[in-house]
Amino acid sequence: MSDPYKVLNISPNASDDEVKRAYRELARKYHPDNYHDNPLADLAQEKMKEINEAYEQVQKQRKTQAAYGSPQGAYSYGGASSYAGSSSADPLMQRVRAAINSGDITLAERLLNEAQEHGAEWSFLMGVVCMRRGWMDEAKQYLQTACRMEPDNAEYRQAMQLFDNSGYQPAGYRGFGSMTFGDDACMRLCAGYACFSATGCPIFCCI
Amino acid sequence: MFGYIRPASQRLNDAERARFRAAYCGLCRTLGRRYGFAARFLLNFDFTLLAILLSLGTPPRVVCRRCVAHPCKGCGAMEETAALDAAASHSVVLAWWQLRDHIADHGFLAGLPYRLAALLLRRAYRRARADAADFDAAVRAHLAELAAREAEQCASLDRAAEPFAALLAKLADAEPDAVKRRVFAQLFYHLGRWIYLVDAADDYQRDAETGNYNPLRCRYGTDGDTLSEEARRALGETLDASIRRMASAYALLDAEEWTSVLDSIFYESLYGIGGAVLRGVYRKPSRLRRARTAEGETV
Repeated sequence: MSDPYKVLNISPNASDDEVKRAYRELARKYHPDNYHDNPLADLAQEKMKEINEAYEQVQKQRKTQAAYGSPQGAYSYGGASSYAGSSSADPLMQRVRAAINSGDITLAERLLNEAQEHGAEWSFLMGVVCMRRGWMDEAKQYLQTACRMEPDNAEYRQAMQLFDNSGYQPAGYRGFGSMTFGDDACMRLCAGYACFSATGCPIFCCI
Repeated sequence: MFGYIRPASQRLNDAERARFRAAYCGLCRTLGRRYGFAARFLLNFDFTLLAILLSLGTPPRVVCRRCVAHPCKGCGAMEETAALDAAASHSVVLAWWQLRDHIADHGFLAGLPYRLAALLLRRAYRRARADAADFDAAVRAHLAELAAREAEQCASLDRAAEPFAALLAKLADAEPDAVKRRVFAQLFYHLGRWIYLVDAADDYQRDAETGNYNPLRCRYGTDGDTLSEEARRALGETLDASIRRMASAYALLDAEEWTSVLDSIFYESLYGIGGAVLRGVYRKPSRLRRARTAEGETV
């Protein structure tokens, strides 16, 4: 295994508090909620596993806990979001869920297009397919429709919530939304310098 | 491309700013050396970002070189790498086809500046086409798809943005490592989607006046020459969704010495640029303002 301190991005001389803080920050960064219905969820899961192992190893090395089982305060990764679909009564929808779980988005979409009835579950699964493809505007519309049709469905509500609120931003960065960013934002983005082309004709640019 | 992306400079120290500038100068030098003087005018920040991302894992070697821009003391420029070569050839090919598209869209007189630019760029394009034949074919296919979306007045933002997003995702093919290729494909897809939609928002008023196709007009169905408050909020949300996808892909890369530059882009400045465009206060730096900033004033 690679150096656990390197994985946690800290020096071996770091205090226990610093280790814990570094671990928490990384766990926040690779939290499964940030990769919900994201095609890269498996990579984030691997990363999280690596971080958990590194934290565990550091804890062991430091022997801070005598009876030590799993890393203290460690996050468990529930795995990539699964659509096993015990809730699904419709066999077609069950096949769609299976296709999504196996990563076959094209098949899932084809099956959904074959469906005669477009109920709440259909809208929800269309939303999931759109999310996997990166079609974020349509995904949101489908999820909203599903939630409107069945407002009490916890699965749909959770998907909507994650769509709106997931994402990682390190502490200290301003704004987490284009509409909430300060009015003067663009003015602060650049400090310029000039670049002259071979003929001496100035090309001004802004960094 | 469009040149929207730049780091939040107040987040960077002098060394980090110099490093970004070295990538920028390195791309300029690569364009000039490989494709001739005219190609240097295609230099922009979006492709500088692509060059930086594609060069992750290869420690940048910065050399001091003199050019007409810095004739006396020279400037630090990244030495030519495969990533810079790829960014240079792709930017020439894309710019060429965008020019061809403008020529097709405009009449003889209005299209004259584009014809002149195409004439100047012809040799550069021929050389770049030889270096990036796959990308050349992809750009042609993309433009045909985009024309089809325009013809049908496509009201889906995602379907309208798909050709450009998929085109940028193709740039990931230049990466030899399979895992990084997946991450880049996702990152570049959303970068393309974001750029396309931000550009549509930026052009909204002009398109409303000229009657040109604009996906936002079809999607939000507003008749005026500005987006309604509700439409701007919805557009902001979907732009942010792409930024978060970019950030989550970027988090899986080892940015090493580029961490501050890239953090400032993916965790802050994209929100700022998107917000400024949505509020109608984004201005591509005018020549006058750029001249002022060039004298050292921080804007």
